[in-house]
Amino acid sequence: MSSRPSEPIAMLRQAVKRRGAALALNGLDLDIRPGQCVALLGPNGAGKSTSVALLTGRLRPDAGTASLFGGDPRDVAARGRMGVMLQEAGLPRTLTVREQVELFRGYYRQPRPLDETLRLAGLEGLERRRCGALSGGQQRRVQFALAIAGRPDFLVLDEPTTGMDIDARRGLWIAVRAEIARGAAVLLTTHHLDEAEALADRIVVIDHGQVIADGTPEAIKSRVSGVAIRCRTRLSDAELSNLARVTGVSRDGGRVMLLTPSAPATLRELLARDETVDDLTVAGASLEDAVTRLVQAGAPAPTRQAEAA
Amino acid sequence: MHTLSVYIREARAQIVSTWRTPQFIIPSVALPLLFYGMMGLGLSKGREEIAHMMLANYVIFASIAPAMFGFGAAVAAEREAKLIELKQIAPLPAGGYLAGRLIAALVLVGVAIGLLGALAWLGGVRMVPWRWAATLGLGLASAIPFALIGLNVGLRFGSQGATAVANLLFLSLCLFGGLWVPLSIMPKWAGDIAEVTPSYHLGQLSQMLSGMQPMADVPHHLSILAAISIAAMIGAWSAWRRQAA
Repeated sequence: MSSRPSEPIAMLRQAVKRRGAALALNGLDLDIRPGQCVALLGPNGAGKSTSVALLTGRLRPDAGTASLFGGDPRDVAARGRMGVMLQEAGLPRTLTVREQVELFRGYYRQPRPLDETLRLAGLEGLERRRCGALSGGQQRRVQFALAIAGRPDFLVLDEPTTGMDIDARRGLWIAVRAEIARGAAVLLTTHHLDEAEALADRIVVIDHGQVIADGTPEAIKSRVSGVAIRCRTRLSDAELSNLARVTGVSRDGGRVMLLTPSAPATLRELLARDETVDDLTVAGASLEDAVTRLVQAGAPAPTRQAEAA
Repeated sequence: MHTLSVYIREARAQIVSTWRTPQFIIPSVALPLLFYGMMGLGLSKGREEIAHMMLANYVIFASIAPAMFGFGAAVAAEREAKLIELKQIAPLPAGGYLAGRLIAALVLVGVAIGLLGALAWLGGVRMVPWRWAATLGLGLASAIPFALIGLNVGLRFGSQGATAVANLLFLSLCLFGGLWVPLSIMPKWAGDIAEVTPSYHLGQLSQMLSGMQPMADVPHHLSILAAISIAAMIGAWSAWRRQAA
């Protein structure tokens, strides 16, 4: 059962999964190794939840393989080493926090002590409250407690901090880092890029059911060469992409974001073409810029082989 | 050992959770007792054989609600809240969730039937010990077919729909099973419906075991009950598989 440190704990190989008419996964490869935190990023419908469902045994691949600790994700032995926080899972309204956490601890052969579980999840003082009486953020913390109750070797966190306030989020991050330091592997899906940047040592960007980028947050960011210019302008997307040195254009509300390796060259031309430019900021490209750019570019980037190696 | 303790913990959590849900406890436990106290004992004062006959029907009645609502409405609600999904991912042994629910339903039915028996005894119903054991035991066992039917409801309907369907089935099973009103004073078509309800056949067996009717047609009743249970089991299995797909 025990895997050598170099062997992946969880693995998808050429996984294909059809959901209704759409192809949710189209030959996806994913490896997660001990002590590694992998953030799975991508737009809605990219295949993130399907990947999670395959690795947790909720779905079976139509083709390719999904394996967990070298076996079938559905085996009870494999599931006993995994803790999962689902995106929209509920809690029994009438059970108290302590009762629900105790119940899940009981599923595992070597559970984490109750007090430690409650403390790590930031639930001290809420033990006797019924789950139905908790706020959304508190319920998420109970879900996290259920996920770590078995001291898992593989922790799956699907949008873990939805509904949490800033303090609760930071608290959860600290707890996740402790799990990683203990040697657990973590698979994280999130819409918060700052969360991925804070926790993950590897980012996998997927779209249309395929991996389009895979690397450290720094490697992903360096894919977007240079600088992001944000502003309000009356120029069209076509005009903007024809500006000097522009490598990417995207819109967010009323503002546009231009990626460029040379801010002065682009800015000079932008200001010359449109004297109404307003609300202008220039900053180094963020992880979010990089992911946006990668998803826009679509097909797997040519540098992928070099970087994955 | 570990597996057994998981079943027990799961059942205990279900019982605690049920106990704190009055909309479940009242129809499950209080209603049969109240009805029996009023109609079985109150109205039949001094005529113990009526109280005796009604006890035989009411032990079946008392098992329908916990099984139907515990497996119908509650499973649908937990399925909608994705709680079952989380439990399917968690390392519960196969069927741990359903086994826990079944044990919880049996405990509740056991309480309701035990109290009914005590009430009947206080009201003057007398049987030899084996008839007591057989009558109350049949009531307890009858929770299983009703639980299987309820599970079909819980796995196939949304939580709102499941509650409505479970209520409808609960009332029809009681009425057309002849548990409340003897079928002899109902129209003939009601008797035809009764033939396909498990509650009617269980009621008949219960009357025989409690000594109110001679033993007759036992294989007929048992075979129909077995057919209904197997059909419900296959239906529940396929619905469970489909949602785990």
